[in-house]
Amino acid sequence: MFICGYHFPASLGNKISHEQVVEKVTAEVGDLSDVSYAILTSENRDGIKQEDLRVEKGSFLFTALADYYKKSDIEGEYKMIYYTNKYQMSEVSKAVDGGVTAAVCRKLDDMLLYRVKVA
Amino acid sequence: MAELRQIAFYGKGGIGKSTTSQNTLAAMAHYFGKKILIVGCDPKADSTRLILHEKAQCTIMQLASEAGTVEDLELDDVCKPGAAEFDPANTDITDGFIMCAESGGPEPGVGCAGRGVITAINFLEEEGAYDQDLDFVSYDVLGDVVCGGFAMPIREGKAQEIYIVMSGEMMAMYAANNISKGILKYANTGGVRLAGLICNARMTDREYDLAKHLAEQIGTQLIHFVPRSNHVQRAELRRMTVVADKTDQAFEYKELARKIIANDLKVIPKPLEMDDLEALLMEFGLEEEVEADAIGKKASA
Repeated sequence: MFICGYHFPASLGNKISHEQVVEKVTAEVGDLSDVSYAILTSENRDGIKQEDLRVEKGSFLFTALADYYKKSDIEGEYKMIYYTNKYQMSEVSKAVDGGVTAAVCRKLDDMLLYRVKVA
Repeated sequence: MAELRQIAFYGKGGIGKSTTSQNTLAAMAHYFGKKILIVGCDPKADSTRLILHEKAQCTIMQLASEAGTVEDLELDDVCKPGAAEFDPANTDITDGFIMCAESGGPEPGVGCAGRGVITAINFLEEEGAYDQDLDFVSYDVLGDVVCGGFAMPIREGKAQEIYIVMSGEMMAMYAANNISKGILKYANTGGVRLAGLICNARMTDREYDLAKHLAEQIGTQLIHFVPRSNHVQRAELRRMTVVADKTDQAFEYKELARKIIANDLKVIPKPLEMDDLEALLMEFGLEEEVEADAIGKKASA
């Protein structure tokens, strides 16, 4: 299985718990004390920007986006997020972050393309 | 040398199997240096045109017909190196390469198209096409597995891991479930396994949720959600993949390629009953709940 870009061995089956994902991402991302914000931008299919969204620091969504940004080899200040990853991040965040990121997650569940900048 | 992996892309006709498979395999060669043989198993012979940058390749069945029999053919007649960076002789960009063969089939409405698949694969094996320094053989197989001929890569144990290309549309999901039934039938005798669903998205409502839950219930994974992109269609007209373009879509295929290379989740599927499939569609495929008394009636204005 692949969740948030990470490979979970086949021995774990095809249903990985949210806790396992959080544990993996948190362990892999390392220290985030120097990261102050994560901003998402959305765009439609014509590449026209729709809006900016700020993600709450300390949430799983923030951690996952920071991890994604750090590991990504996609060029540019704002890095495109794979659709698979944005849906997976949203799913886990809705389960573990509660209402903190609910509004952002509702947006992430749509069909728009999202880019992220973390600094 | 790593063990040869034989993979296959199945899915409903018109779902985008050939586009998805060629872009993904191109990414496997371009970014990860993989050495690949594509065996197109579709009478349309469109499984290799984006790699060859040509119109449909001459098929094994076509060439055999011209030569007399398939025994009159040489491997070089039917197995072509990919164009530009996919050519084994061109190592400027990558050591990876893609060789291409198309099985072909009879004229529409005449004969069994599956027989072409069987003949082609046997010929390629006997002529040593699989003995080259390959990492992957990939079969791109037409439509559903209701015809035994097209189940041949599964039935004969040729393809070991199957990726089903689907979308959130009902018929695509029905086909995915049906293909799972085909895999289940031969899983114990031939060793074939389902390796994942690839959602070639139509961008319909809650498509990710639908595809993910179908995958979970069948016992596999949604390995990647590929968004729809006009860029892909435009590249197809130029007989090109998008993988070298450094576009958002190219990165999506690169990520799918990375996952397929690393994938170890290969399962015996648990296909759904039709009622369960319908229930899944009702649960995830519609924005608003449909009341039981609305089924079979026109939508209100």
